[in-house]
Amino acid sequence: MSRLTPCRLLIDPPASGDWNMAVDEVLLHGANQGGGCTWRFYQWSQPTLSVGYFQNMQDRVQHPGSRDCPVVRRVSGGGAIIHDRELTYSLVVPTDHALSFGRRRLYDVVHESLIETLGGFGIEASLFEQPDDETTNPSAVCGCPYLCFQRRSPGDVLVEGHKVAGSAQRRLGGAVLQHGSVLLDRSAAATELPGLNQFAGSEISVKLLIDAWRERIERGLDFIFTPDEFKADELAEAERVAAKKYGSDSWTKCRGRSGSV
Amino acid sequence: MKPEDLLYAKTHEWVCVETDSAGAKVATIGISAFALEALTDLVFMELPEVGRELNAEEPFGEVESVKAVSDLISPVSGEIVEVNSDIADDLEKMTEDPYGAGWLIKVKLSDESVLANLMDHAAYQKQCAEEA
Repeated sequence: MSRLTPCRLLIDPPASGDWNMAVDEVLLHGANQGGGCTWRFYQWSQPTLSVGYFQNMQDRVQHPGSRDCPVVRRVSGGGAIIHDRELTYSLVVPTDHALSFGRRRLYDVVHESLIETLGGFGIEASLFEQPDDETTNPSAVCGCPYLCFQRRSPGDVLVEGHKVAGSAQRRLGGAVLQHGSVLLDRSAAATELPGLNQFAGSEISVKLLIDAWRERIERGLDFIFTPDEFKADELAEAERVAAKKYGSDSWTKCRGRSGSV
Repeated sequence: MKPEDLLYAKTHEWVCVETDSAGAKVATIGISAFALEALTDLVFMELPEVGRELNAEEPFGEVESVKAVSDLISPVSGEIVEVNSDIADDLEKMTEDPYGAGWLIKVKLSDESVLANLMDHAAYQKQCAEEA
């Protein structure tokens, strides 16, 4: 039997994009400076578009349905996500932990635990795998759909050909942050994307999903969760980071390839 | 450059230290083949400007693969004297020749003692085997 890793578990109420991203950054830096693993479930106080670290802001015109949503830029890669009727998670793991090794391990173990969970709701989900004779062409990636859930990367979670969950990472020298999103239902800001409730026999709420998923995460990742809350210094730092970084145009609009607005 | 002759950081950057014509020690830095294999499908890279001062273990750039953004960490301290700017437009070259044409930056060392923190090839191979 493998040794269990203690992991802090945070289950947060809905919050703004600036706050959510600031909190994840504080957790990432905590692990990067010698802290342990943390898993956080969270939601968003209003439908919000989060864009990948290197995505250009002018590409937002590619998705008019979300044009009225507030926008926040993530530190993780990948495509844009409309956080509305969905559950978001963040996981930070020190880079000396075996879960962080390899390019897919962390994606796969988390997504496999979700697939097992969805099976309990009668939903047959699977990991997307690229056929052996196809390799990803980097230039095709640059030209791929704007929305994360319209892209396909090995390890994404699919139901009946539709992507219902995906994850992306930010890697520092001492820790990795994995962001992930699970679509629960169609959003009015992205009606083209079905969620789990389009495939389930009965409605899956956020609470139902968290309750069912958390024990499978513990089992799949060999974690032992300790439910926790933020410490005062973490909240103070998150407030500072939210105001200075994620709430600023210099971060949100001026990053991206070629730094264009 | 032969991988066997290089030094390595635990964050997978390689270092080759040479003496320039003025007698200064200059470190050429790149990413190991093992790390490039792990990153796969690089789509974008951001490198620093010449003249920037770096401290060991400080990020000097960022690389984006299909879904991950990773910091590039400097294994040494000193001033950046050369940047392989062309590599950002031809990331395949880095994968094809990580220890040659795929180098990223050259740093004039300000403190040679940090080299003692780096691994030789055998130690690095051991780390890679543990992470594989």
